[in-house]
Amino acid sequence: MKKLTKRRIVALASLGMVASVLVAAPAQANTVTIKVVTPNYTDAMPAYYADLNARFMAANPTIKVEHENLSWDDILVKGRTYISTKSYPDVLNLNTFSEFAAEDLLYKTSDLFTEAKLSDFVTAFRDNSKYNGVEYAVPDLASARMFFINKALFYGAGNTKIPTTWAEVTAAAKKIKAKYGSRVYPLAIPLGSEEAQAEFQIWAGGNGGRYFNESTKKWVINSKENLETLNQLRAWVKAGYTQPNPASTNRTDAFKLFSQGRVAMINASVFFPSTLKDYKSKVDYGVAPFPSANASKKPITLGVQDYFMAFKKTGNKDAVSKYLNFLFEGKNYAGFLKAAGGFIPATKSASTEVDSSLLPFIEQLPNAIFYPGTLGSWGPVVAKITTQIGTGITKNPKTVLDSLQKDAEKAGTN
Amino acid sequence: MKSASTKRKSSVATHDVSVASALPWIGPALLLIILVVIWPVVELVRISFTDITIAGSLLDFHGFANYRELLANPDLYPVARRTLLWVFGIVFFTVILSLPLAQLINQNFPGRKYVRWALIFPWAASVVMTSMIWTWILDAYSGEFNLTLTQLGLIDEPVDWVNNPGSSFYVLMAVAVFVSIPFTTYVLLAGLQSIPNDIVEAASVDGASHWQTYRQIKFPLLRNALLIATIINLINVFNSFPIIWIMTRGGPGYETDTTTTFAYKLAFIESNMGQSTALGVFNFIVILLIVSLYLKLTKATRTEL
Repeated sequence: MKKLTKRRIVALASLGMVASVLVAAPAQANTVTIKVVTPNYTDAMPAYYADLNARFMAANPTIKVEHENLSWDDILVKGRTYISTKSYPDVLNLNTFSEFAAEDLLYKTSDLFTEAKLSDFVTAFRDNSKYNGVEYAVPDLASARMFFINKALFYGAGNTKIPTTWAEVTAAAKKIKAKYGSRVYPLAIPLGSEEAQAEFQIWAGGNGGRYFNESTKKWVINSKENLETLNQLRAWVKAGYTQPNPASTNRTDAFKLFSQGRVAMINASVFFPSTLKDYKSKVDYGVAPFPSANASKKPITLGVQDYFMAFKKTGNKDAVSKYLNFLFEGKNYAGFLKAAGGFIPATKSASTEVDSSLLPFIEQLPNAIFYPGTLGSWGPVVAKITTQIGTGITKNPKTVLDSLQKDAEKAGTN
Repeated sequence: MKSASTKRKSSVATHDVSVASALPWIGPALLLIILVVIWPVVELVRISFTDITIAGSLLDFHGFANYRELLANPDLYPVARRTLLWVFGIVFFTVILSLPLAQLINQNFPGRKYVRWALIFPWAASVVMTSMIWTWILDAYSGEFNLTLTQLGLIDEPVDWVNNPGSSFYVLMAVAVFVSIPFTTYVLLAGLQSIPNDIVEAASVDGASHWQTYRQIKFPLLRNALLIATIINLINVFNSFPIIWIMTRGGPGYETDTTTTFAYKLAFIESNMGQSTALGVFNFIVILLIVSLYLKLTKATRTEL
C-alpha cells in the first residue's frame, strides 16, 4: 500500500521534472521489497539474518528485505503452501529446488551470479543443482552422515569395536540391552516425519539400495535391497533395540535422547557435535563410518545439500541477485556457516578453513550418495517417502514400498 | 392511535421496498458473504474439475479425473472410516459427559462461580495451545502424566501415549472431547435454566424422585438444547484440524488422519492439489448436509415453541 502511493507520487514527480527541467528521475525512485524465506538451521539464524539484512539494506537503500525464518518442519509445509498459493517468496532457502525449476519459476543461476563467482561453488554440489542440465539453484551448505556412539554406554557393555556391518550392530545392541535394560536404547532409528527419508536412505545405501536408479532412469523404491533394509530395521525394533515408535520419532527427539545419554548408537549428521554442545550434553561420543549391510557391501555416507533459489518476478532480478551475492561474500558466508552450525561449506574458498571436527566427514564425501534432487518430481515423491516410510515398521513393509513406488512412477521421472 | 397508524404505514412500506433500496443495508454483509463464503466454494469446485500443477498453475478442464483419482486412492478409505469414529465418538462422549456437568454447575453451591470459570477455560484457550500442552503432559520421556503414573507405581516404565499405535487416536479423541465439553455444557446449562421452576416443583410435590424428575421432566425439556449442541459439535469436530496436526501430524503415515487433515496433507505435503480439492468438495457436502439438518431441526423446534 505504502509502496504504491510512494511509487505514484514519485512517478508524478518525475514526470513533472522531465517536463520542466529535463532531469532524469533520481535513482532512489523505486523501492523494491524482496521476501526472503529461510529455515532455522539453529537458533542463531534469526540474529544472523537480522544483522545481514540490516547491513544489506544500509548498502542498498532501494531494496527492502522482508525476512521469515521458519523451523524445518514448518518450512517444508509453509514453503510449499506459498508456492501452491502463488505467493512466491523472492529468495528461498530449502532442501529441494527442482520441482520449482520444472515449473519455470526460478532464475537460472547464470542470471544471478557471474561465472567467476559460480565457479567458486564446489563442483559436485553444483552438479546437484541442475535441472535438465541447467543450474537453477546454488548450494548453501552440505552435510554428510556418520555413525555416532556413546562411548561410555557402548564400551561399558563390553563392546570393543565400533560395528561396520548390520550383524555387528545387532551383536553390539544385544550386549547393550543386556547390560542396561530399558534405561537405554541401544540404537535410535528416527523414522518420523522430520527426516525419515534420510534415515532410511543411509541404512539402505549400505545395502546398495537407492530411491532412484540414475543409469536406468527408473524409480527403484521397492527394490530387493530396500526391502531387506526395511526388514532389518523392523527386526531391530521388534527385538527392542530401538526407542519405542520409530515411525513417530523425529530426528530432533532422537538427538535429544542421545544427548541425555539414553541412546548408544545413532546415525547423525555433520552438525551433530555442535547440536550436542547446544544441548549442553556431557556425552563422550565416538564417530565412525556408517555400517553397511555386510562385509561385501561398501560403506557409504549420505550427502545432503540445501539450496538457495530465487523466484522470477517482475522487477526483482537485480535485487535478488544483489542479495544472494552479498550473502555469499567471504565474511557474510562465513557468518552463515557459523550460524547454521557446523555444516560442510558449499564454496571452495570457504572449504579451506574448516573446523577440524569436519574433516572426517569431508573424508567420507567421495563415498557419498545423493538424493535424486535434480528430478522435477523429487519434491512430491520425497514428501511422500518422508511421511510414509516409517509405517513399514508396523505395517507390511512390501506393501508400503510398493505403494511408494507406484506413486513415484505416477509422479514421473522428468 | 398515532402509534398504530405509523405501524401500519411502516408495514405497508416494507412490502413496497424494492431490493435496490434494501441493498445499502444488507449490501456490506452480502458482499462479505460473497467474498469469504461463496467465492471460495466456487473456486474450490472449479479447481476440483481442473488439472492443477504443484506450483498452483491451473491447466485445463479435467472432468471428474480428480474425483476418480481420489476414489481410487487406497488411503482414503481407512481415513474416511476413522473420520466417522472421530466425529461420532467425540460427539457422543462430549454429550454424555456434559449432561451431568451441566447439572452440576446448575446447582447452587459455594464456589460455583469458580467451577464455571474453570470449566470454560479450555474453550477460551486456543486449541493449538491446548494441544501443545497435552502433547507435553503426555510426553513419553518427560511428561507429567507418565511421571505421576510411574511414581504411583501404576506402570513400570513410561508409555508413549500419543504415539503408541494402540492409544494414539484415542488420545487425540480424548483431547477433542476435553475441548468440546465447555461449549456443550454451557448450551445444556442454558437449556436447564430455561426449564420453568414450577414444573420441577410440581413434580416433587407429586412425589417424583430426583432421578424421575430428571428423566421425565428435565431431560425431555432439554431436547432442543441437546439437538443444537450435538449438531454444532458435529460440524466443529468434523472440521477439527489443530489437535491432530499439533499432536501427531496425522502420522505415522495416515494412521491418525481424518478427512480434514488428509485433505491438507494431500495439498500441501504431497502437492496433490487435484485430489485435495476433490476431497474438499466431499467435505463441504458433508458439512452442508449437517447444516441443513440443523436448519431443519431448529426450524421445527421454533414452530413448536
